[in-house]
Amino acid sequence: MFTYPPSGLCTWLRHVPFFLLVLLLSGCVATPQTDALLSGSQPVESSSMELRDVPFFPQEKYQCGPAALATVLANSGLEVEPSDLVPLVYVPERKGSFQVEMLATARQYNRIPYQIAPQLSAVIAEVSEGNPVLVLQNLGIDWFPQWHYAVVVGFDLERGEFILRSGEIERRITSFKAFENTWRRSQFWGITLLKPGALPVTGEEKAYFVALSTYAEHAPEDEVFKAMSAGLQRWPDSKYLLMGVGNHYAQRQQLAEAAAAYRRVIELFPDYAPAHNNLAWVLGEQEQIVSARQHAAMAVKLGGPHLAQYRLTLRELEKMAGHDNSPGKQ
Amino acid sequence: MLTVKMKRYICCTLVLLLTTAGVQASAQAALIGTQQVANEASVEVQRDELQTLFARDDVVQKLSSLGVDVADAQQRVANLSDAEVAQLHEQINDLPAGAGALGTIALVLLILILLDVAGVTDIFPKI
Repeated sequence: MFTYPPSGLCTWLRHVPFFLLVLLLSGCVATPQTDALLSGSQPVESSSMELRDVPFFPQEKYQCGPAALATVLANSGLEVEPSDLVPLVYVPERKGSFQVEMLATARQYNRIPYQIAPQLSAVIAEVSEGNPVLVLQNLGIDWFPQWHYAVVVGFDLERGEFILRSGEIERRITSFKAFENTWRRSQFWGITLLKPGALPVTGEEKAYFVALSTYAEHAPEDEVFKAMSAGLQRWPDSKYLLMGVGNHYAQRQQLAEAAAAYRRVIELFPDYAPAHNNLAWVLGEQEQIVSARQHAAMAVKLGGPHLAQYRLTLRELEKMAGHDNSPGKQ
Repeated sequence: MLTVKMKRYICCTLVLLLTTAGVQASAQAALIGTQQVANEASVEVQRDELQTLFARDDVVQKLSSLGVDVADAQQRVANLSDAEVAQLHEQINDLPAGAGALGTIALVLLILILLDVAGVTDIFPKI
């Protein structure tokens, strides 16, 4: 949900007094999600689960960021040690790691970090399907933060407990209530790592596309395409994913496939100007100038933030129409 | 000091760079790229999040008790420009405890921000 400027201080479990304080405070802070889960009003598929094969890297000093990230990366089949990640995500002055750098590093290892919904039930759903969830907690309180990254690897609904790889503890048991309180202070920041082509259990179409497009900035085209196609399997009517796939084809001059994707968007969302514009571009490449101009004109008529670009498309097509036997390319 | 030769060299390089940049731009200028589409998608995600705030029981209760028509307010969110959505989202982001589960102070601040959206107050600039 809402991310915020991270202050990367990660804490360490020696601060026993703070745990006592948290325990005391958790008694007087409302935990609506925990209440809903424990009362059974929120349906959950399995009642307990523990991903025992998730590796464990005991953290050193303040380095919970590298340890937690290595845990989920190694779990997704990569050979990674926390020490590999320290130069990438650990900021010595802050004795911690920033969320953006955790995300960027995951992408560097060719994994798509997907931020799950800010719900305990989302954590449970992901873990149930075998996906550990990397979470940011504030084990302290708002005005005395003790930031800490950990990995949720299990839960027990009966007992109302999560099991986490956390700091130096391989199976740290945390009650739903304490977890809700400590996780809430990071605004419920939690991610799962997706191999390109895998989908988040609790995913949502737009959020998936946004995660994917950030990954796409530095990722191999084929992997991005694999991830987009997988997304389309679940959300076949996603205009964003269809646009992404269309653009992929257009850039490779696979014009028929590109046109089909854009046409599908227009069928579903007739007023979506970018699809008209991009279809016009493809038709222009295919030298179907008449229909290309119609779609470009439609995009200009619909307008929106990219109007200048639509006008450019239209102008270029009109230029083409002006020349007989135009090669259709620039 | 630059010699004439060096100046000429720099000029030629610049001209070359500018022309090639121009060619690349015109070849790709017409397609709305995936990153541009993604920017739209992320604003939509933020807009959805704002809408869910207006759907929260505690928020609805508070706003109703202050005489705000919640459906009206939701319509206003739908009408906000992308930039306004982003700005509003950031303001809510900066609330002390985040928007997920609110402490008393955060709830009051959130209500104030939402009252601005609803047009009841005008505390925060440019919304």
